[in-house]
Amino acid sequence: MGKGQTIRIEQIDEYRWRIPKESREDMRVDGIIYADEKLMSHIRGEQAAEQVANVATLPGIVGASMAMPDIHWGYGFCIGGVAAMDVEAGGVVSPGGVGYDINCGVRLLRSDLKAESLRPRIKGVVDQLMRDVPCGVGVGGPFKFGDDELRKICLDGAKYLVEIGLADEEDLVATEAGGCLDGADPDAVSPIAYRRGRDQCGTLGAGNHFVEVQVVEEIFDAQAAAAMELAVGTVTVMIHSGSRGFGYQVCDDAIKTLRKAPEKFGIDLPDRQLVCAPVKSPEGRRYLGAMRSAANYAWANRQLLAHLARKALAHHLKATVESLGLRQVYDVAHNIARIETHEVGGRPRKLCVHRKGATRAFGPVSTGSPQAVSTGSPQAESEEIPRKYRSIGQPVLIPGDMGTASYVLVGADGAMRETFGSTCHGAGRVMSRKAAVRAAAGRHIEKELAASGVVARARGRRGLDEEQPDAYKDIHNVVDVVVAAGLARKVARLRPMGVIKG
Amino acid sequence: MSKSCRTFEHTADLGLEARADTPGELFEALGEGLAGAICLRQTVAMQKTVHVQVESEDIESLLVDFLSELLGLFNLEKFLIAGVRVGKIDETSLAAEVTGEPFDPARHELGEEIKAVTYHQLKVAREGAGWTGRVILDI
Repeated sequence: MGKGQTIRIEQIDEYRWRIPKESREDMRVDGIIYADEKLMSHIRGEQAAEQVANVATLPGIVGASMAMPDIHWGYGFCIGGVAAMDVEAGGVVSPGGVGYDINCGVRLLRSDLKAESLRPRIKGVVDQLMRDVPCGVGVGGPFKFGDDELRKICLDGAKYLVEIGLADEEDLVATEAGGCLDGADPDAVSPIAYRRGRDQCGTLGAGNHFVEVQVVEEIFDAQAAAAMELAVGTVTVMIHSGSRGFGYQVCDDAIKTLRKAPEKFGIDLPDRQLVCAPVKSPEGRRYLGAMRSAANYAWANRQLLAHLARKALAHHLKATVESLGLRQVYDVAHNIARIETHEVGGRPRKLCVHRKGATRAFGPVSTGSPQAVSTGSPQAESEEIPRKYRSIGQPVLIPGDMGTASYVLVGADGAMRETFGSTCHGAGRVMSRKAAVRAAAGRHIEKELAASGVVARARGRRGLDEEQPDAYKDIHNVVDVVVAAGLARKVARLRPMGVIKG
Repeated sequence: MSKSCRTFEHTADLGLEARADTPGELFEALGEGLAGAICLRQTVAMQKTVHVQVESEDIESLLVDFLSELLGLFNLEKFLIAGVRVGKIDETSLAAEVTGEPFDPARHELGEEIKAVTYHQLKVAREGAGWTGRVILDI
């Protein structure tokens, strides 16, 4: 538990709130929460602000311990948190700052399909997805990988699937980090993780993971939408999943291994779930090597899910993937730690940026952008953004709840100045799963969604009840805050037509 | 002898809170609470017994390691749990017998996908004449 019972929160402006570092003796930097008054009223009711303060105590943290407007109470770090640690100044990496579902993230496919022509067949498409995309608790998939192949997936991520004909280069280009983080260490992954990973690459999982068929409802930025080939009235497919049991095991193993690290490195922790080790220590390097392996596994997983979803649509519509124009817009991680160079106190510094329920949101690479001019050094990182997106900023994919909307944003200069190139990741839960099931008592969520034009299917017994729209914050509100705060710009709003849940 | 376990609300995750007369019963209650979150225990037959032994550095870590071991039975062996009996237990080690049966999709409906047993707000403590414990599962 944190050390303070009540956390002091000061309003900076309409969209920013500060937890001053003076409010607790163990805080090294301020906490900053991005929210408006409405979102803040919910945040105050949880222990999330205390978690923001707890993260501010970690060694090497620079700038501020930040939380996006979709912040909610998590374990250790809050969900919606961003924390950057100075690698050369003893900065730590914490598995709890990434989460169990390492590189849980979102992939978006666009198409030439018109929503109006698909609508009469949407039920059939959703049923086809339900048949073809393995989902649900502990469900394995059609792809089985031996340890040797899994090691290649650890090292090469989605790139490995190009080698075996299950992905193409175009998809890799339109993926954060090209679908593969360098520095993965397959030897740092336990045999149990390999065992759990064998038949789960290419499976959706359960909980809030989904495949959703959507329609582009509104375009806010014509130039950016054109670069992403998004047009009003056309169909998109969004995929939300992560590293499955492989990643959960990597995180679990790391936390166990690091239990004694705080004592060894003299780190006083307010919560055991925050266990960490200096990035440059053998323990820190080992976790990063394992985490990158799991991140790469997740990119391979979403690649296989995209493969299955494309085939399902093409099959049901008696078309080809090419004729439907089902091309990848982008794929982003929502739970990850990355070594990036950002400017701190006027100098470029190598940082370990933890994003737990937050998205990388690098701004446009053009004259006048901070990363191109003043730091100079994140050049390689900017080059990671596909060429066609460099002038508009990195695409950011924000899923909302299944009854409302999702957003496509692009990173903005404000994110480079304030949040180490990060923004929100989704609507953020507002109701516990139990409360959501209670709220659904006597109702029929599937029928309610159908009445609002969304065909929803779930494998689990409480799937739709737990994930009902009311369980989440208002996605429009969350997105409006990050846009108003200058962290991202709106490109398009997507409305759900059909969704499958695990 | 008495033990009880209830779930409590946590925004995105699932909390388990238990009370019992002894540490062994406390661990049994939390183990059965976890088992119930995976699959309704009433639907799981007592077909097979598995022996579990865990060692750890303190009693709280012991609880996380014990529950992780039980979760591993489902994740790795697809084994569902009907009952947990803790035999020998001290601050850093325990031995338990776990009874249940293999998962059968035709008969068993699974509950949550539990990703892990976390250390957040973890508690194992003597309170009054009995013991209380609390753990949060990531789902």
